Amino acid sequence: MSFVSFRFLLFFPLVTFLYFVIPQKFRWIWLLAASYYFFMSWDAYPVLFLFLSTVITWLGGILTAKAGKRSDGKADFLKKAVLAVSLAANIGILCTFKYLDFFGELGSWLCAAFGVQAAAPRFGLAAPVGISFYTFRVLSYSMDVYRGDAPPERNLGKYALFVSFFPQLVAGPIEKAKNFLPQFAEAHSFDLERAKRGLLKMFWGYFEKMVVADRLGKLVDTVYAAPQSHYGLEVAVGTVFFAFQLYCDFDGYSNIALGACEILGFRGSENFKRPYFSKSIKEFWKRWHITLGSWFWDYLYLPLGGNRCSKLRHGLNLMAVFIVCGLWHGAALSFVAWGALHGLYQVVGLLLRPGKNRLEKRLNIRQNALWFKAVRAGCTFVLVDFAWIFFRADGFRQAVLLIRNLFRFDPAAFWNGTLFGLGLSAPEFWAGVVGIAVVAAVGFLGRGRDLRESFLSRGRVFRWTVCTASVLAIVIFGVYGPISGSGQFIYSQF
Amino acid sequence: MARKTVFKIFAFCLAVGVVLTALSKVFVLKTVHTGDLQEGLYLSDDSYDVVFMGGSHMNGGMDPNVLWEKHGISSFNYATGGQPIAETYHLLREVLQKHKNPVVVLDVFYLAMSDPYGDDAWISIPLDNMRFSWNKLETIRDCTPPSEWIYSLVPILKYHYRWSELTINDLFYDNSARYYAKGFGAGTNRYGKPMTAFADTEEKASIPAKNLEYLNKIIELSKSENFPLVFVNLPCDYSDTDKDEDWVDDCEALFNTVADLAEQNGIPFLDYYDKIKEIGLDFPNDMNNAGHLNVWGAGKVSAHFGNYLKQNYSLADHRYEPSYAQWWTDYRKSSAYCVLHLPVPSGV
Repeated sequence: MSFVSFRFLLFFPLVTFLYFVIPQKFRWIWLLAASYYFFMSWDAYPVLFLFLSTVITWLGGILTAKAGKRSDGKADFLKKAVLAVSLAANIGILCTFKYLDFFGELGSWLCAAFGVQAAAPRFGLAAPVGISFYTFRVLSYSMDVYRGDAPPERNLGKYALFVSFFPQLVAGPIEKAKNFLPQFAEAHSFDLERAKRGLLKMFWGYFEKMVVADRLGKLVDTVYAAPQSHYGLEVAVGTVFFAFQLYCDFDGYSNIALGACEILGFRGSENFKRPYFSKSIKEFWKRWHITLGSWFWDYLYLPLGGNRCSKLRHGLNLMAVFIVCGLWHGAALSFVAWGALHGLYQVVGLLLRPGKNRLEKRLNIRQNALWFKAVRAGCTFVLVDFAWIFFRADGFRQAVLLIRNLFRFDPAAFWNGTLFGLGLSAPEFWAGVVGIAVVAAVGFLGRGRDLRESFLSRGRVFRWTVCTASVLAIVIFGVYGPISGSGQFIYSQF
Repeated sequence: MARKTVFKIFAFCLAVGVVLTALSKVFVLKTVHTGDLQEGLYLSDDSYDVVFMGGSHMNGGMDPNVLWEKHGISSFNYATGGQPIAETYHLLREVLQKHKNPVVVLDVFYLAMSDPYGDDAWISIPLDNMRFSWNKLETIRDCTPPSEWIYSLVPILKYHYRWSELTINDLFYDNSARYYAKGFGAGTNRYGKPMTAFADTEEKASIPAKNLEYLNKIIELSKSENFPLVFVNLPCDYSDTDKDEDWVDDCEALFNTVADLAEQNGIPFLDYYDKIKEIGLDFPNDMNNAGHLNVWGAGKVSAHFGNYLKQNYSLADHRYEPSYAQWWTDYRKSSAYCVLHLPVPSGV
């Protein structure tokens, strides 16, 4: 059941209505049942693995707490052992579904490099929906309990709800147990103002996904499906469109998820803060998929030593984190390359920083000058967008081919209508461009102020007109339905 | 507070619903059948003594203007491409709202379709052009899979993609280019190939369950609403559809079953597949393609069927009635006049 489906538009109001109608002490049971139903609406059997991950980490939490109370000197060893089992089991499940074939191929390739012919079997296992997200959620719980940052949850049901909570199940945000688990013990009553704010967030999410992301996706799919046939401007436009497709797709999903949480009374973590306005790659990663970045920061980058070590080690830490980040997104060399490229950007950025600072000083450039910020944001966008080629291409070789074709420029493409033959007619193409402009404008206007608050403080006629027009805009200009097609969320594949 | 909130939500949904319903008419795909169905179901004040129902074979096979010219029979062709028998049943109920006790001529070709729903694009044509009614809701329920109900109920959800191709004709739809055809639509192509003749068989093939259910409903309806029913099968090259996965393998055997069923219920069954020689049909020249008659073939079949109707039913000859003068104006625009050059009798 995708967020972009009529089933969800029936499911969510029903779940919300009953959530606020039934007595407080039963509400978590209702949410748990709804979440498992939501999960099983994709496929029923993977629920076993969801449940297995839940039980293992829940038991791990209880045992860790128990071990921590021991005073015979074995506490640390036992806690580590429990954590190791918990991590191994969950990462094992994740690897089995996502990486078995990839590592098999990698093994065969390495063997071949040493002259040994060994064909690894292909299993082709279909990964349960949201496995990367819920696995990271349970891992964060295990590590928080191990570190003593979060108390173990005694109630298996409530813990299972934390793992499977339907608004965040498919593609996050990846909540940490210490922030989110206590909210299931809170008493939520229906608050109209909060519901309005949540609905506005959901509306905006639907607009981003249905009107912008899925429209841009048609051109992107056309270009990336046949990289050998597209050159210069076509590849450039396809790649710029992909940058906004991915952002609108994932930010749209996150806004729908967070809006749904808000209506139900939960406070979810923001996942995006206008990432394409970032002035450096480092800043980009503080604004893009924030909950994933924060996860890697807390549970991988800092344990590796972070930046409190030698420059070489710091660089290696960055590379390791970003390669794992790439691998998390997909079991393919192209994702590894994407992650490595981001790591490399940061390492090079660190190496160039002293020279860059000196140059800025010598040229007397004010850091706060608007033109300078715009240039930095533009350069960051170019670097990020270049890396997206590896993220989107169907494999490493195709990415390289696209990059090669990117520089085979045909100026006639500007005026001979080529761009309008890439899956989007001229009106559809311009609608996509207007969509990007609207998203950028809303991002720009939203700097430092709450746009939802501004909107809700306006007169009733204005609010109703805008709401009705927004619904109509989504209905008319959205890409969905049996003829124009409806896309799943990109990140739900991860 | 709660009551006010519920009222606000209801009012908002109502406002959006009203706007979407109004916009749906603009966005619905306009096909040649749009004008035909609107004319036959709602716009025309004429009363029809004969109505033709069914799929594309019927739509391109029976020309009401030929029946009019030769016998003064007022008729309308409600058949549309790819119309499953369940949808024909509901469309017939819509027709009967306005026209009481006409002779209903049913194309039985689509009884051979084994897919329970058929092609959504075809099913949408009658559905999109039916006004909102209980019958329309039942049509949606019976003729489309549950996952498609919402799109049939609020068509803009299906046709919203047309926003970039809308024309003034979508805003102010005008059927003046179609109304005179009385629903009939045949091509002027010459197929040019001989028919792949199927050997006669005594075998009987089962009618797919859903089709049989709705055929029986149509028979029941003819009894309860007291209208004569005639089954018709039009010439075509079955070898085309026999290859389809969602089609009964042996059409000849299926039509044997239809013949039995017609006999049991006292319903005449005219199988024009078996009357090709009798009506002088020249398959390569009188077919538009393997499955459909062209204008000339339809002229021959319609003329034969007109004679049959005249001989077997007491149908009034309206040709010289002043109140039907408009029918001659319409006729002068029709393919029967412009292509077949059937003359206008003197004195009309």
